[in-house]
Amino acid sequence: MEGVEVAEDAEITQEDAWTVITSFFNAKGLVRQQLDSFNEFVNSQMQEIVDESGQLVIKPESQHLPGQEAELEQREIHISFNQIYLSKPTMTEADGETSGMFPNEARLRNLTYAAPLYVDITKRVITRAPDAAEDEQQDELEEYPKVFIGEIPVMLRSSFCSLFEHTDKELTDLGECPYDQGGYFVVNGSEKVLIAQERMANNHVYVFRKSQPSKYSFVCECRSVIEGSTRNTSSMAIRMLSRTAGRSGGQVMRATIPYIRSDVPILVVFRALGFVADRDILEHIVYDFGDTEMMEALRPSIEEALPINSQEVALDYIGKRGSSIGVPKDKRIQYAREILQRELLPHVAIGEYCETKKAYFYGYMIHRVLLVALGRREQDDRDHYANKRLDLGGPLLASLFRQLFRKLVKDVRSYVQKCVDRGREINLTAAVNKDTLTRGLRYSIATGNWGMQGTAGLRAGVSQVLNRLTYASTLSHLRRISSPIGREGKLAKPRQLHNSQWGMICPAETPEGQACGLVKNLALMSYISVGCASAPVLEFLEEWATENLEEIAASATKIFVNGVWVGVHRDPAMLVRTLRQMRRQVDINTEVGVVHDIRLQELRLYTDFGRCCRPLFIVERQALRIKKSHIQALQGVEGTTEKLEWHDLVYRGFIEYVDTEEEETTMIAMELRDLKAAAQEGARGSAPLYTHCEIHPSMILGVCASIIPFPDHNQSPRNTYQSAMGKQAMGMYVTNYQTRMDTQAYVLYYPQKPLVTTRAMEYLHFRELPAGQNTIVAIACYSGYNQEDSLMMNQSSIDRGFFRSMFFRSYRAEEKKQGSLVQEVIERPDREVTVAMRHGTYDKLDDDGIAPPGTRVSGDDVIIGKTSPLAEEAPGTAQRFTKKDVSTSLRNSESGMVDQVMVSTNAEGQRFVKLRVRSIRIPQVGDKFASRHGQKGTIGITYTQEDMPFTAEGITPDLIINPHAIPSRMTIGHLVEALMSKVAALMGKEGDATPFTDVTVDNISAALHKCGYQSRGWEVMYSGHTGRQLHAQIFLNPTYYQRLKHMVDDKIHSRGRGPVQILTRQPVEGRARDGGLRFGEMERDCIISHGTAAFLKERLFDQSDAYRVHVCDACGLFAVANLKKNQFYCPACKNTTGVVQVFMPYACKLLFQELMAMAIAPRIQF
Amino acid sequence: MGKRKSSKPPPKTQRPKLDIAFNCPFCNSNKSVTATLDYDAGVGSVVCNTCNERFSAKIHKLSEAVDVYSEWIDACEAENTL
Repeated sequence: MEGVEVAEDAEITQEDAWTVITSFFNAKGLVRQQLDSFNEFVNSQMQEIVDESGQLVIKPESQHLPGQEAELEQREIHISFNQIYLSKPTMTEADGETSGMFPNEARLRNLTYAAPLYVDITKRVITRAPDAAEDEQQDELEEYPKVFIGEIPVMLRSSFCSLFEHTDKELTDLGECPYDQGGYFVVNGSEKVLIAQERMANNHVYVFRKSQPSKYSFVCECRSVIEGSTRNTSSMAIRMLSRTAGRSGGQVMRATIPYIRSDVPILVVFRALGFVADRDILEHIVYDFGDTEMMEALRPSIEEALPINSQEVALDYIGKRGSSIGVPKDKRIQYAREILQRELLPHVAIGEYCETKKAYFYGYMIHRVLLVALGRREQDDRDHYANKRLDLGGPLLASLFRQLFRKLVKDVRSYVQKCVDRGREINLTAAVNKDTLTRGLRYSIATGNWGMQGTAGLRAGVSQVLNRLTYASTLSHLRRISSPIGREGKLAKPRQLHNSQWGMICPAETPEGQACGLVKNLALMSYISVGCASAPVLEFLEEWATENLEEIAASATKIFVNGVWVGVHRDPAMLVRTLRQMRRQVDINTEVGVVHDIRLQELRLYTDFGRCCRPLFIVERQALRIKKSHIQALQGVEGTTEKLEWHDLVYRGFIEYVDTEEEETTMIAMELRDLKAAAQEGARGSAPLYTHCEIHPSMILGVCASIIPFPDHNQSPRNTYQSAMGKQAMGMYVTNYQTRMDTQAYVLYYPQKPLVTTRAMEYLHFRELPAGQNTIVAIACYSGYNQEDSLMMNQSSIDRGFFRSMFFRSYRAEEKKQGSLVQEVIERPDREVTVAMRHGTYDKLDDDGIAPPGTRVSGDDVIIGKTSPLAEEAPGTAQRFTKKDVSTSLRNSESGMVDQVMVSTNAEGQRFVKLRVRSIRIPQVGDKFASRHGQKGTIGITYTQEDMPFTAEGITPDLIINPHAIPSRMTIGHLVEALMSKVAALMGKEGDATPFTDVTVDNISAALHKCGYQSRGWEVMYSGHTGRQLHAQIFLNPTYYQRLKHMVDDKIHSRGRGPVQILTRQPVEGRARDGGLRFGEMERDCIISHGTAAFLKERLFDQSDAYRVHVCDACGLFAVANLKKNQFYCPACKNTTGVVQVFMPYACKLLFQELMAMAIAPRIQF
Repeated sequence: MGKRKSSKPPPKTQRPKLDIAFNCPFCNSNKSVTATLDYDAGVGSVVCNTCNERFSAKIHKLSEAVDVYSEWIDACEAENTL
């Protein structure tokens, strides 16, 4: 112990901030957004959706049957869905036995990890005699408790998962990796992630300037959606005509209302809402009548609407422009009234007597247009992250569940209706179709097509197979965001990094190419709001003297809650202070966003889901609220009275979550020392007044970028490249890889933790599950076999196991059953009775028809034998073959050893086999490696240790990279990492390469010098070939290298002759099918330009699909030829002579025949 | 070298425009009524091209074909309910 006593209220240091960060990750893990959103879905959204369905009222359809009296009594059936119950995940075997399920079993047996959902249903039958009084009725109530309605896939490690709150030991016993974070689903045995979908926020008012030549100069839009409703967005717009388009010359404004076919003058809407006098209308738009400029800007619009001078006329004007034309006046007025009530800005209110609220919101929209038009305010920024919302797994599932549950209710209704009409007994348990939910959810999660099968507006790619290449790639995949903007869009803006994404989205991690900037990744500490009720906030505002909209004055601040204007307040500063105070004490939810826009005189509060937030230290009087004593309590230092955790920090107001919009109203200190400087300068008053402080600036990075040492020393695209490459590195992707049967898996033999780490890597468990090795790297040309990003590798190191890895591939087979006759059997196929046997060997199969573990397999060897019975031909005839071979053989280019065999049954109770083949991959020429700085290369040559250059100490490099890889790429981080690695290796410590810290190259150099080495990491080296000293000193240091999954053995391919496609008789495509190498268009162009026609013909014709046809000389169509008998015949002109032989590509012959089938005669004339 | 046909996204569904031809309340023929609007004189008239039935009404500068037609419908309605 240091034994240094610190004052209780001492300020914290940057090191202490890391304690806070540690507590954050201890409490939250790395996939909190996924888990939170799923928990929210199950805990509240699901019940809300069920409650939404309300009560089904079913009345018998009176049927007139001739000769029968009308029914005497009236019956009414009320059905309601009440409380739902979600059980733990279970599995029902084919024999009906039900038991609890754990995810590993689902993965291995290709099951779906889902839990049954039950609902209480009540049925009320009200019977009334035809002549009875209103209250004389019979009322039968029947309860159906806990009716099973379907299975809901469960997110792993959510609070409904069977792994929830298990210890690491228990998890290991259950066959799980304790480092696995969950946050995904297991559907049909495959792990599926729901990718967060970015969208524009609803209920916001946006004003955009339109570029000329547009009909309009400004457009104000509002996409209005009622909170938690299924209704489609109803958007409205206010457009200001450009000067040239206006008839009278003035800039009039028009409003676009849903279902109204033409734009109407803005004042018409006010009049239709019941505000007729100009003064009344102006009150809603211009809050300060002294603002003559704005009044003047409204003049053309006021004058335009002069002829429409009463509410009735206005409503009629709107009604006439509705969808039904030629209806009487009172109908039109009624229609217009309904449109205004239900479809105009539904988020403000729907129903009668809401005209005032709507008129004020509508007026506010016009006000906003005018502000931009008068140049008082900039137009809105579409790409500002405050205007974006993220739909995570929870909301995505909720929308799907809502669709499916509606269908279920609809089906119940029609079933009951049918029963009632036919006078049958109603059995509600039978009325509920259990497959609707089960199949619907499973379909969408399994395929990624979001929405009900067969419906329009299906979104593809929402659910993806979880990437299990390396642990970091898995984590990164679980934190991915996708924006559904067309990939081919040329607009660069949505792809660019926006300032407002600071701290929320990783600035480095995005793919290159078509999805660049559209696919993003969350920064380490960002949090996505799950949504909370707005009612407590509204209540609070009520209590705190919020005035009604009518009280609006020029000085009042407008208050919006989730985009709805709820009132005004005279003292917003006090209100904001109180709101923030309450949020910090958790009197109102911590995730409520409080935005006080002083310039606009607005106070905007948000409680909706999908906002990006991040935690920040709260600053008061230029000092952090959190003090040293709290850090000690967090660490559980002896002597502290209490043990604090992350949520205590939030509850006590040391830290708060700030969303992107609120962030715009804060002043955030980047580092603690900035705060200190400001406090010292405070007396002079020139220092900025901080409200918050970053916890640590390195938390702006995402999962993959946090693995890069010294990213702040690299050119930024290099960090992007490494972020993509880190996902292809081999390492230890989970600890339980031996119990898993992944279709493909790469595992490094001797993974090492890096000599140089970042602080964030601790939370990514990179030390426990590393993906690379510390390599002694020389930066030198040496023999020159490392040009153009190739590498020279030490063969002796390779022989000692350097970068050796394993590759696993799993094959699967199941006994399928079709009907009652065809039942496949896993067995050793008998050549005597089996048709269509493979050409590979069946010798590796054991008696059970499966190759046993330890069998060496290669090429096309059959590894799982399976037969399917052949249908019997005519009865009585002796059949040679009774079975057809449907075995599984090894991929033709692979080899290895059978590692493990699993025999089980699937959900249908059929035999189910998974077989894993292991192969060892030793680095060889052509294999790909990369450092952590976007410096990738393939091995160009391997030299044994004797041929490698050596130092006086006898050190030889494992790897030699070319110095030309450095200057143009400017990956200084690479060099600094190397330097620090050397120090770390010599001192036996880990180096800290966290970005935005005080470490300098000079510090590292000094430390290296102290260890007795050249301070810049250079070494005098001697040639391995000659033993002479090399002219230059060599930069020889350890660097952490990654082995990437691309290996020559998986790519090498050549073909002389081989299989062809059936249709065109051209060579097939792809290595897996032993396909040809494409002689493409560009290659063809080359040959044309060389003028070597014979070679071109050979490539494109002789070596491809050469064919001989016979053509009738008379008609030019294909003739029939019998070459054996030397007979020719033209079916078109019945001609047997004058047939010529023509050579042409088979594809050409095919085209001619297809044309002939379309009644087109392609005649070949000579 | 021929460029591959690029798949264009389907054209956006446009908001239905306001009608300029209507059904005739007299002869019931489809889309036969057209309007002529004289903003200077403040008179708009509608004519059925099939049965030549016509109607005129006062208009203002915001009026469109539907307004005159709707007024005609109202006039017919008034006549019928008498």
